[in-house]
Amino acid sequence: MAVPLLSLIVFTPAVGAAALMFIRNDDVVRWMALAVTILDFALCIAMLGGFDTSTHEMQFTETHPWVPALGITYALGVDGISALFVFLTALLGWICVLASWVAIDRKVKEFMVSLLAMQALMLGVFCALDLFLFYVFWEAMLIPMYVIIGVWGGDGRVYAAFKFFLYTLAGSLMFLIGVIVLYFHGGETFDIRTLMAQHLPFQVQSWLFFAFLIAFAVKVPMVPVHTWLPDAHVQAPTAGSIILAAVLLKMGAYGFLRFSLPMLPEATVHYSTLMLVLSAVAIVYGGLLALAQDDLKKLVAYSSISHMGLVTLGIFTLNLRGLEGGILQMFNHGVTTGALFLSVGLIYERTHTRSIADYGGLMKAAPVYTAFLALFALSSMALPGTNSFVGELLVLSGAFAANLAVGAAAVLGALLGAAYLLGMYRKVALGPASIGMRFKIRDVNAREMAAILPLAVFVLWIGLYPKPFLEIIDASVKHLLTQVQGKGGAQ
Amino acid sequence: MTAAALFQSILASLPEIVVVTGACILLILGQLVRKGQQHFLVWASVAVVLIAALGTLMLAGEVRPAYSGMFVADRFAVFFKVVFYLVTVLTFLLSRKYAEIEGIGSSEYFVLLLLALSGMMIMASATDLLSIYVGLELTVLCTYVLTGFLRQQQRSNEAALKYVILGGVSTGIFLYGVSLIYGLTGTTQLDRMAAAVTGDQLDPGLLLAVVFIVAGLVFKVGAVPFHMWVPDVYEGAPTTITAFMSVGPKAAGFAVILRVFLNPLVAASNVWIIVAVIAAVTMALGSFVALVQDNFKRLLAYSSIAHAGFAMFGVAAGGADGVASVMLYLLIYAFMNLGIFGIVIMMRNGDFSGEVIEHYAGFAKSHRGLALLMLLYLFSLAGIPPTAGFFAKFYVLVALVERGFVMLAVIAVLLSAVAAYFYIRIVMVIYMREPEGAFDPALTPAVRATLAFTAAGTIGIGLFPAWFLRLAQHAAIGG
Repeated sequence: MAVPLLSLIVFTPAVGAAALMFIRNDDVVRWMALAVTILDFALCIAMLGGFDTSTHEMQFTETHPWVPALGITYALGVDGISALFVFLTALLGWICVLASWVAIDRKVKEFMVSLLAMQALMLGVFCALDLFLFYVFWEAMLIPMYVIIGVWGGDGRVYAAFKFFLYTLAGSLMFLIGVIVLYFHGGETFDIRTLMAQHLPFQVQSWLFFAFLIAFAVKVPMVPVHTWLPDAHVQAPTAGSIILAAVLLKMGAYGFLRFSLPMLPEATVHYSTLMLVLSAVAIVYGGLLALAQDDLKKLVAYSSISHMGLVTLGIFTLNLRGLEGGILQMFNHGVTTGALFLSVGLIYERTHTRSIADYGGLMKAAPVYTAFLALFALSSMALPGTNSFVGELLVLSGAFAANLAVGAAAVLGALLGAAYLLGMYRKVALGPASIGMRFKIRDVNAREMAAILPLAVFVLWIGLYPKPFLEIIDASVKHLLTQVQGKGGAQ
Repeated sequence: MTAAALFQSILASLPEIVVVTGACILLILGQLVRKGQQHFLVWASVAVVLIAALGTLMLAGEVRPAYSGMFVADRFAVFFKVVFYLVTVLTFLLSRKYAEIEGIGSSEYFVLLLLALSGMMIMASATDLLSIYVGLELTVLCTYVLTGFLRQQQRSNEAALKYVILGGVSTGIFLYGVSLIYGLTGTTQLDRMAAAVTGDQLDPGLLLAVVFIVAGLVFKVGAVPFHMWVPDVYEGAPTTITAFMSVGPKAAGFAVILRVFLNPLVAASNVWIIVAVIAAVTMALGSFVALVQDNFKRLLAYSSIAHAGFAMFGVAAGGADGVASVMLYLLIYAFMNLGIFGIVIMMRNGDFSGEVIEHYAGFAKSHRGLALLMLLYLFSLAGIPPTAGFFAKFYVLVALVERGFVMLAVIAVLLSAVAAYFYIRIVMVIYMREPEGAFDPALTPAVRATLAFTAAGTIGIGLFPAWFLRLAQHAAIGG
């Protein structure tokens, strides 16, 4: 590979962040951050343009020795699954910059630096082909995210930032031990491709499965380690919430797909029922909690827990439809929940309240805005024609094939979703204009439109024509399935 | 001893001779320097260390045993000496302005630091329990005095007295262990001891002797249960001396511990169990007690106890990787800890003591660059990648898992999650609070250089650990 495309994608935001440190003018900082993220997005499109969907092999690979004495390499590469998330991350990069344009009015430079650093690290996580490198990216994300929540967050930001940091750190450290154990069992290498080809004894697989589970379950988050999420989401600034919901939560599920399933197939099959049950609990529990929320952000946060439950449910059905649905749903959740947080952020900038009770009749004051809100709410509850419908249908059909009771729980979750989302929309958009009487609410402006429209396009695109997205992941998912079933025995 | 052997011995110990001679010359010159000319002393001291460093590196090519097996200049010693030079030079640079502010800039200050350096160097090279004792005493006697250098302050005097008494007791215990060893084996030389034991290696007498020696050494690195002096001494001593003690003599203590533990006699006595328990308890105590500290120096004292515990895990792991992991850990710790101490020292200016964590509130608002450096050091101390602190911990964990001590590794990481809390709490204070007053750090060029250098090490070793790792691995196998 002549051009190290993935390195460019990963390090463009990092270089941008470093360059931003030397700029004093806030407006220049904003425009430059936008330019960097758009450039990164363009590079990402170029990567997808050259992506070969017919193979499950890692593409655009780069390998350089890093710490030879311990077999650590700097290795990047993408397969269908990671390519999809690299794209999602790059897409949300510039949307986050736009979302923070006026919302962040102090320490703009520091914020943009953190945001760009965050983006570089997230892209690194999805591209890493070396476990050590993966861990470095994975863990280093804590630093900018801690700062983003803690400095620019709401009133309870310090508590939320601490909670986020400590939960994730404690989870990751067990993962680190797992990684080192894997290193010695897998022939003293951190290379992910080599480790996937190893066959470990069941005993070791089981231990590793749980060590990894702790780390990934915290990130997803799965019940009962989800309690950091509502705090972090509610306190984080809009861009922080978008990143958290759209990308960070995906990393847990990505971890299952990249490590647990292919490297620990027997343990995965053995404990899949446990995972299905945990996922079902998350779906229903998250949905019930969302139903009871008055805070808009909290509602979306709890709905995230429910929807991510659907993702892990799809993954651990361990059949083709479930897996493809789960992965597509990861992408969908990124787009839809990102869009919902963006919408909440937009209205919060105008009214400075997130309490649903304060709203009403918004449709008359801001018709364009409410139209978008309706679209994303409908997408979140998986109405046919929107993106989540495709993903959820695949997951459900996979779930019913795997376990009837769990499938039923997932359907219940979908019903709950309809209840809290429609309820939220009714109270906010319809009825007498409570808040519109007191405030003059401005509708969506051009900058906000530029941020929100692309997400709406993806909602409808995947809803109506999901084929290109499924094609990207298809070969990789099929290969993943043979890895699980080949070694783990057919389920 | 023939003339040739004497020459060889002198050659092997040339760096030590340079440092001691330099210290003596400075002691005399110091009386001739006029007031206001003290910066001359700083540069002269730095020059002495640099000459010694040059000598060490030029002689590093081969193993040089000296003084009838009491002393050796091998790669292991060279690695530690480089750490000591680094620590000492950075301490000199940090001391320049601080000593002026505190009014302790007399020549003895620098001379005692140089003598402490020579003691640490002897510790790193010593291969006989008696030469270890000489190095140990030389180091601690100097640090006793330096601890009490703030003569006008009660807590400085109290700290020094406490340190002397407890240090004396620990030295006594150490010597008692040495005498037992001599009685049982007829030698105090590390590599002859094992051969001298013919019978049961788990002789209770021997075990007792080993435990006594371990106890004496554990005191010097500030590990539980001999850690009580650390917080008081660290808080009472001049901050520059605290910075020095937290990395220099501690690293020297670990050098001796490693040498003693590499010894087959000790290795056979299952002493690793004791070490593992000490490591876990030390780390737990340091991490948990640090959670409730308001005083920056005290917090760093408990933090240094916790780090000593983590390094102890590397000793417990043993083997080539275990030893190398401890060495790398100490090198990295020197960078990040001197960095954070550099900040605390710099903040001591005018009425600002720089010791209360709350007083740093909102520091990031007015001093972006310095706050970013603090963030870097603190996250490195917490062990978050991509900083060097992460790699240091990572390698210790690798060494533990390699030997099958997975449970110890789990304990180590869980405790380091606890420790992370108090580091990021400081980050919270400097970034997420509003400032209450203006800050006026004493930012001299020397301090700037120190901070730049330690920051470069903290991030540089984190991103490119390969070279440093190889260095530690080569040094660990002796040779």
